[in-house]
Amino acid sequence: MSLKTAPEDSAGPAAGAGLPTVLPPLDSPEVQKMHRRMRRRRGRGRLTAYITGTILTLWIAVPIFFVFSMAFTTQETVRSYPKNFLPFIAFSTDTMRFFLESDGVLQSLWNSMVVAGITLVLSTLISIPAGYAIARYLFRGRDLFRLAVLAVRAFPIVVLSIPLAVLYLRIGVFDSLYSLALMHTALALPTSILVVSSVFASVPYELEEAGKVFGATPFQSFRYIVVPLVLPGIAASGLFSFVLSWNEVFAAAILTINNRTLPALVLNSLANSPDAFQFAGGFFLMVPSIVFMFFIRRYLFNMWGQVTK
Amino acid sequence: MTTPDTATSASKARTWRYRVVPYLLIAPAIVYLAMFFAYPMYEGLVLAVYDDDALLPIRDEPNLGASEVSKIPQGTALAIVDRSSQEVVGDGSADALTDPWYEVTAEDPSGSPVSGWVSGARIRVRDEDATGAPVSGTVRPRLAATSDPLTDVHESPNDRSEVIGKLEQRAPVEINEVALLEVWFQVRPADDPAAAAGWAPSRFLQVFEDGERGRVHRGTDGEFTTAFIGRMIDDRFFGPAVRTTLLLMVLIIPAQFVLAMVMALVVHARTRLSTGFLYAFSLPIGMSDLAAGILFFSIFTGNGLLNSILDGLGIIDGPYAFLTADTVGWIIFAIVLAELWRATSIVMVILVAGLQAIPDETLEAAELFGASYFQRVRHIMLPLLRPSIQVALILRTILAFQVFAVVIALGGGDVVTVLANESYRQYFGLRNNNVASAYAVFILMLSMASAFFYLRAVRSEPETRPT
Amino acid sequence: MAEIRIEHVTKAFGDNVAIDDINLTIEDQEFLVLLGPSGCGKTTLLRAIAGLGMADSGRIAIGGQDVTYLPPGQRQISMVFQSYAIFPHMTVHQNIGFGLLMNKVEKAEIDRRVRSAAELLHIEDLLDRRPSAMSGGQRQRVAVARALAMEAKVLLMDEPLSNLDALLRLEMRAELKRLLADVEATTVYVTHDQIEALSMGDRVAVMLDGKIQQCDAPNTVYESPSNQFVGSFIGNPPMNFMEGTIRRDRDNLTVAVGEHDFSPPEALQPLIRELSGDRVTLGIRAENMETLVAPSSDTVPVTIEVVEPLGAQNLLTAKIGGHRLKVSTHPSLAVAAKQQVHIRLPADQIRWIDPANQSVLYKR
Repeated sequence: MSLKTAPEDSAGPAAGAGLPTVLPPLDSPEVQKMHRRMRRRRGRGRLTAYITGTILTLWIAVPIFFVFSMAFTTQETVRSYPKNFLPFIAFSTDTMRFFLESDGVLQSLWNSMVVAGITLVLSTLISIPAGYAIARYLFRGRDLFRLAVLAVRAFPIVVLSIPLAVLYLRIGVFDSLYSLALMHTALALPTSILVVSSVFASVPYELEEAGKVFGATPFQSFRYIVVPLVLPGIAASGLFSFVLSWNEVFAAAILTINNRTLPALVLNSLANSPDAFQFAGGFFLMVPSIVFMFFIRRYLFNMWGQVTK
Repeated sequence: MTTPDTATSASKARTWRYRVVPYLLIAPAIVYLAMFFAYPMYEGLVLAVYDDDALLPIRDEPNLGASEVSKIPQGTALAIVDRSSQEVVGDGSADALTDPWYEVTAEDPSGSPVSGWVSGARIRVRDEDATGAPVSGTVRPRLAATSDPLTDVHESPNDRSEVIGKLEQRAPVEINEVALLEVWFQVRPADDPAAAAGWAPSRFLQVFEDGERGRVHRGTDGEFTTAFIGRMIDDRFFGPAVRTTLLLMVLIIPAQFVLAMVMALVVHARTRLSTGFLYAFSLPIGMSDLAAGILFFSIFTGNGLLNSILDGLGIIDGPYAFLTADTVGWIIFAIVLAELWRATSIVMVILVAGLQAIPDETLEAAELFGASYFQRVRHIMLPLLRPSIQVALILRTILAFQVFAVVIALGGGDVVTVLANESYRQYFGLRNNNVASAYAVFILMLSMASAFFYLRAVRSEPETRPT
Repeated sequence: MAEIRIEHVTKAFGDNVAIDDINLTIEDQEFLVLLGPSGCGKTTLLRAIAGLGMADSGRIAIGGQDVTYLPPGQRQISMVFQSYAIFPHMTVHQNIGFGLLMNKVEKAEIDRRVRSAAELLHIEDLLDRRPSAMSGGQRQRVAVARALAMEAKVLLMDEPLSNLDALLRLEMRAELKRLLADVEATTVYVTHDQIEALSMGDRVAVMLDGKIQQCDAPNTVYESPSNQFVGSFIGNPPMNFMEGTIRRDRDNLTVAVGEHDFSPPEALQPLIRELSGDRVTLGIRAENMETLVAPSSDTVPVTIEVVEPLGAQNLLTAKIGGHRLKVSTHPSLAVAAKQQVHIRLPADQIRWIDPANQSVLYKR
């Protein structure tokens, strides 16, 4: 389809016709060369962003990569000096096998999974109703509740592990995975509540009402309209609770003696275990967050961003 | 929820729903946070300033029902005046000194049968049954010439009970029953001979070998005390821990904000790799300071990455020991790097969220009106990020007080120490719950103080919030 | 001299070509309106002129200087943004003076120019206020004052009135026109509102699918659309269109619409005769038809389907040859639905459109 810009009999000056110009023709090499140069200059900001981003990515990734290659090599390589780290450190499952066969490691991995699993379930179960209430109801004390949740999140709660340990000892639930999971749930809960409420808030209430208008009970409209929409966000918040519990050191080290979780085990063997043990332990400490952060990253801003609102 | 059938009850039900339902929904969270945040916080405060077993009451008779003569503080040196065996009370704590008493049947010097309780110290057991319980024995002879050669038989297992008979030495006895009695001591403070003496069960006392001196091991009555706080402050690690904690904050936080801002600007530049960069930069969010400590240990340790690189470049000849007691500066440097590596991502995410809240047109307007990139950062982005920066500062500072594993991973925990590490050491290494709690409370106080400081110092007026 | 020359400018977002080989010259001190439906490329073109989005190819020159890839801050332009883009953390004074501060104008001069711009917009009293406490209309005035204080050679406006409510928009439209009449800047004004375009512009460039369909004075655009799209986009109600069949007799040429024959003006007959098929589209505006109660030789009898009284006029809907037409009549003409009336379609008001490319045929 080719349409003329303007009919000949139109009033006013015709577009681009016969005006004297001081500029050389557009397709002349000098213009093309200048345009290329200026484009490059304006692309420089973008290039700076790429270069800076790449450098910073290396800053994050290189230590992880190095410890991971230490976790999958021979123990001799771990002890060797100087290390020949380019291009890669020789791959072997030796370090990993040594770590996994060490006393208590498999048990502590299982313990960590149990604690993190309970934390995930508990924090999700408690945060769903609370998050829904904040997102959907205007009730007296709502702002106070939100503020309290924010304040709790900003507190160094882990230092409360010590009185909690004393309390646990008194009522005889000390050194139990379940008690540790209760503590971790308290750690994860404020973040969970804020994320879940922002996820609920992102589903317009009109959708729920529309469901009710078409005859669904409140529970049905929640089940068939809201749940499918919020599921990914709630899953993300659950994963975050899992990662948080998996990585928690202080409370785990205080509240367990024999039933050590992985971080507590690694912490306690820092002084008297070979480096290979630490590096393999570091691998297991980091893997969940590397995997899960990929799914969570979209919701990161819900966790930390909304405080500014 | 039921479906009411009339309009009024429907509206009533709705009112009920909106009034009550939200509170029901948040109730579990409130109960949970009260149980696991508010209560431990209260308990921690109590542990830090209240000594559960500061005072030991002493009584005018050797039994728990007797009236108190006075309370003696824990640790007081005692002079022991008398000793008595009393009925076993409570759980028979492992700390208690005990005397066995036997219920015996025997003949008194007159040959008539007598039956009653005799102190185990007066009976030599001759026969035991299959279970090891004593069956028979003889009365021990008295060696001291001054004492009564006869042994008392009491009505009940208590040396204060009525004497109902006497036994000759070496008289054979049948043992019917055994009772373990806790020893009570009549004591008074050793440095005050004028003080009234009183009785206390042995489980709360420590008696020295001579049997004449001792000290109060543990009290039963609590008392508010600043002793734990005093012990925290006098602790040789306290000063270094406070100094290092603050030094680390001063070193880390400004650098962290610059780094986080650069990261946030890279993500906000909306290049094709922005989401990739965001993923990479936010990786450490879920990682512990322990993991970060191990990462940087792998770099700074003797045969680690840094030495290998320096060696490869020919800068050094052999491995340089970065993480030793003589190189505290390097340990601090490694901790700073580890914390920059780990905790910058939280700040970055908050700043990116803040940047995203600034409308594109606002930044375009600044660009159009001639502001260079740095002028846009300086005049538009930073002022509009003030609320985000405030939140990030508070969060970051408070979370920094919790860090301890990185210090252990990189410095072993002694050469360089921080407050959270001292709390951990007091609890785990020294088993001192109260001093550990005093540290925890001190950290809480510092956190609150710094949050208050930031709220004041970086106060954001409502007008400056991005619309 | 700040003439804006746009030569062969193209910009695509991925596969979507937003502006396609645009050629346009905007005279010094001219007020040009870019008009079109959303997605037509008008904002992309404005942003290319502003330098906020880079053109893929082509050249943009302002005052004889090639600025195609120059950053916006170096183009000596200023702009009013659709959302106003007032800096929320600055006072009104700081907002208006921001561009001057960035361009290192000295302080006293900044103050002078800020005050005079504020006076022009009647916002002298607001200078120390912050924007958060201001109404939409006041923010709009700050945005305009900020743009004027720059005293730039080119003033760009991106739908500046679209965020205002209807009444305020009417008021600001007139005020903007009054202000801009005194401003010696070449102005490019983007809008999707045809009334704004027709009432404010020296010329209106109508855009669709990344191309300028027509760029002419408002009257010309209205009276003589270059193609069917311009005719249908401009005017309320839009131009009526009817399919006609060309009957090429020996020396006479008629066009049949249903049972009615229309004879095109002499001058256009050769053009219509040259069309490849035997179809031609007729276009006529509602107000260019006459409605009569009694038949006449050149009228077409129709039955009214709907009468819509609009106050100043009544709008009738009727059918000719299967095509629904909107005809506007004076309210004094008492007609009702289902009534038969006779409408006259004056030959000189009919626009003849080549169905192959939808362009309107005009005599050469």
